[in-house]
Formats: sequence, structure tokens, C-alpha cells
Amino acid sequence: MELNADVKESDHKATRVQGGLNFRLNAKTSEKIAFAFLGLSVLIVVGFVLVILAYIVYNGYNAINIGFLTEMPRLMMTQGGIYPAIVGTLYLIIGSMTVALPVGVMVAIYLNEYAGETRTTWLIEMAINNLAGTPSVVFGLFGLALFVKYFGFGPSLLSSSLTLSLLILPVIIRATEEALLTVPKEYRESSLALGVSKWQTIRHVVLPAAIPGIVTGSVLSIGRVAGETAPILFTGVAYFLPRLPDSVYSQFMALPYHLFVLATAGTNIAKTRSIQYGTALVLLIIVLGLNLVAVLIRRHYRKKLKV
Amino acid sequence: MTEGIQNVSKPQIKVENLNLWYGEKQALKNVSMNIPKNSITALIGPSGCGKSTFIRCLNRMNDLINNCKIEGKVTIESDNIYGPDVDVVDLRKSVGMVFQKPNPFPMSIYDNVAYGPRIHGANRKDLDGIVEQALHSAAIWDEVSDRLKSPALSLSGGQQQRLCIARTLAVKPKIILFDEPTSALDPISTLRIEDLTMNLKKDYTIVIVTHNMQQAARISDYTGFFLMGELIEFGQTKQIFQNPREKSTEDYITGRFG
Repeated sequence: MELNADVKESDHKATRVQGGLNFRLNAKTSEKIAFAFLGLSVLIVVGFVLVILAYIVYNGYNAINIGFLTEMPRLMMTQGGIYPAIVGTLYLIIGSMTVALPVGVMVAIYLNEYAGETRTTWLIEMAINNLAGTPSVVFGLFGLALFVKYFGFGPSLLSSSLTLSLLILPVIIRATEEALLTVPKEYRESSLALGVSKWQTIRHVVLPAAIPGIVTGSVLSIGRVAGETAPILFTGVAYFLPRLPDSVYSQFMALPYHLFVLATAGTNIAKTRSIQYGTALVLLIIVLGLNLVAVLIRRHYRKKLKV
Repeated sequence: MTEGIQNVSKPQIKVENLNLWYGEKQALKNVSMNIPKNSITALIGPSGCGKSTFIRCLNRMNDLINNCKIEGKVTIESDNIYGPDVDVVDLRKSVGMVFQKPNPFPMSIYDNVAYGPRIHGANRKDLDGIVEQALHSAAIWDEVSDRLKSPALSLSGGQQQRLCIARTLAVKPKIILFDEPTSALDPISTLRIEDLTMNLKKDYTIVIVTHNMQQAARISDYTGFFLMGELIEFGQTKQIFQNPREKSTEDYITGRFG
């Protein structure tokens, strides 16, 4: 009996201890579960990107050679290269950035440094936010109405570049504003206290410190310019044009639309399979390459700015 | 306090009935003060008493703050700095300011000092001389002369603050405002800055805000005690510390509050 009682008592203790342990285990377990879910989410994202990349590289690398990059498409686009589409996409990037970058940066400077917190500013900010969320096909229709028809630029590199620059304007404005916000107000104060005017302060202290952020935002928008199809569809991209644009009023080919054409409207979809993947791969390489350039620029400026 | 003002024969800075509001809140109440040339004037008082707000009126840094309203008159060398045709940029050239936190620009040591003169159109040939002289005057030349091209942010906190002083000196101001310049520094760096300010007063008029009473006693010629936006007492430092007229000044100095 005595023995039994002992056992019971220790049983009771054990349960209590176990209860305590359970509680602690719970904290640890929940930590583990949370970490597992977070890690899993990251894995899913990274995994998908890698799978897509690998798939395109695997199917596309065979198509890529010097001829593919430097020749005109031949035989109803089933042979030859994608040279005009590469050049067209590069022109679009240059054209739209030339317009959107200076305008976007200036708008951001105005909003962030000069405009007070008034109702008008609030309205402008709202408009920019809405612009950022507008579907790109709407931009395409707007470009068609304004640039192609009203200004009479016709379907052309110019119309498309301007349409794309409107599309990326909010991205650049946002990125620049964010970058300006991260510049410590002490820099502004101590520059002003030296009898330096507001604009000179912005020009010589604030902007240089904000460049890394501005570059990052700009490159994000380059990715969009290179990849968008809807805005150029209405405003100037050509189905097939075996020559380079000879002026800003010419039509042009572009990689994403070329890809779409080959995959859906081509005369022989099966025959062009490798050209399609090759085109996708080239588009990817251009965007990734520009991303790399941005990383280098950012690193260069960070080094210059920090210790 | 009136006696303190009368002691000053030829004030360089003359403040008359200065009132300041941040929105509805009044931060300065009827402050009048005469600050003599080539002297160090210390402003003391508990946090939030208005001493920093006051010093920022002297180079109009408060202009940067929204809904800040200022009434009264501040005269520097017979110019009313709140007058209608005053160029604030010019005013700040002659009234320099050193801030609480050392805040060099993310540039090289040389470029930090050359920044002001360069923008104000100094001759490229003269720049080296200006930079060297400013660094000498700020007592940091010996420490940085061999690495003028390295980033300013690689210096220690105390060195950064002296660099900021050099940056201010390079613009050749007449008056230098120090807004708690040593509160982020260690005791040794603090002492170096204090020595430096005492050397600078032969060429400049210095106004320093400090929450360190020993510092005020050590370096200043005149002291003003602020409380709740009012200038309670102003006079020669010796008199303020040894024989304060106001009860609250005595309470603050002897450490009964603040």
C-alpha cells in the first residue's frame, strides 16, 4: 500500500513536471512551426523562380548562337534570328527611360522637398498611386488615343516609348520619393546652415545620397518596359518587320510581342518552339543583365557614400 | 537681468521681445538679450525650456518648421534678420551652426570642408588653403592632414564634430551657434571642443546651448538661464553661478531640478 501511495505521488509530480515541460515545449514548437512555414514560403518562391529559369534555359540555350542574335527572321519567322526584336526592345528601354527618369525624379523631388502637406499634394499622391495600379492595357489604349492619334505620331517607336514612360512614371516617382526619405534630415540642415540654398542642398547632398535607391527603382521599371506587351501592341509594335527602325516614327519589333506571336499566331508553332524559348531566354538575360548593372552602380555609390 | 544687458556696450546680436509659437504652443516668451562680440554666451536650462529653439532663431533655422510663428526683433550688426528683404541664405553664411550630433556629409574629409566655399564660388586655387586653414582652426589638421581624401564618416565622433566645426569655419561666418555640441561625445573629446571654442572667440562671437552647467561655467563669458520659454536671468557667467538673482536660477544651478 505504502509503495502504491508513493508511486501515485510521484506520478502526480511527474504529470505536473510534464505539464510544465509541455508549456515550454509549446513555445519551442510554435517557433519551429512558424519557422517551417516561413522557410517553406521562401522555398516555394525561390523554387518556382529556379524552375522557370531552368526550364527556359534548358529549352532555349540550343537556339542561341551568333546568327540568332544578329540575323533577321526568315521564312515566316521559322528560321533566322531575332535581331530586330532585340534592338526594338533596347530602343524602347532607352526611349522610355530618357523621358520617365528625369520627369519622375523631378516630380519626386518636388513632392518630397518642396510641396507642403496640402490637399493638392495629397491628391497628386493619390493620382500617382492609382496610376501605379492601372492595368497596362489601359495605358496602351490611352497611348493609342493620345500619341498615335491626337499627336499624330502614328504607330511608332516614339508613341510606344512615351506610352511605356507613362506606365513606369509612378514606379520611378515612388522609388525616388522613398530614396529621398531615407536621406537623413541632418544632411539637409547642416547644408542649409552653411548658407547653401535649398536647391544646391538637394543637388549636392540629397540627390547623391539618394542615387542608390533611385537606381534600384529605375531598374525595376526597366524590367517592366522590357516585358510589357499590351502598351506597345496598340502603339507601334510590328508583327513582322525584317529591318531595324530607321527613325523614331518607324514601327519596330520587340521581344515580348515576338514571343507572343511565335507562340500563338505563328504559321508553324511547333517548328518555332526553340526560337520561342530562345527569345524568352534573351529577354531574361537582358533584364537580368540590367539588374546586375544596377547592383554594380548601387554598390559603387554606396561605397562612395559610406565608410 | 536688465543689468546684464546694460553691461554690454556694443552688442553684436540684439534680441528684442522675441516670441515664438509652434502651432498653438508658445515656446519662447518675450525674450530679450544682448550678445556682445567676441565672447562666448552659454544658454542653459532644463530640456524643453526653449534654449535650442532660441538659438535656431538666430540663423532662422526655425523657418524650416511648418506652422512656426515668430514675433519680435533680432538685430545682427544693425540688420533686422527677420526684415522683409533679408536673404536667409546670406544670413546663414555669416551665422554658422554646429549641431548636437556630429553630422559630416558622406564625402571625403576634404570635400566636407570644401563644400561650403565651393558652392559659394571660391576659386579652385584657393580651396586647398581654405580647407587647410579651417582644419587648423578647428584643431584637427594634425590628425587628418595625411588622409584628406578618406571618408569623413571613418573619423571618430569627436573628430567628426571638429570636422563639422571646420566645415562651418570654412564659410567664414562672424557668429557661430553651437547647439549642444558635446552631448554626444566622450569627456576627452568634449574638453578638446571646449578648448577649441575658447580659442575661437577671439575671431568669432559664439553662442552655445548646453545642458552641462559645468561646461557653461568653464567656457562662457555670459550665461542665460531659460525656463519654460522665458529668459529668467542673463548676465556675466561669474555672477550667474556665484550670485544668481533669481531663486529658480539658483535652484537649477545647485541641481535642485532639471
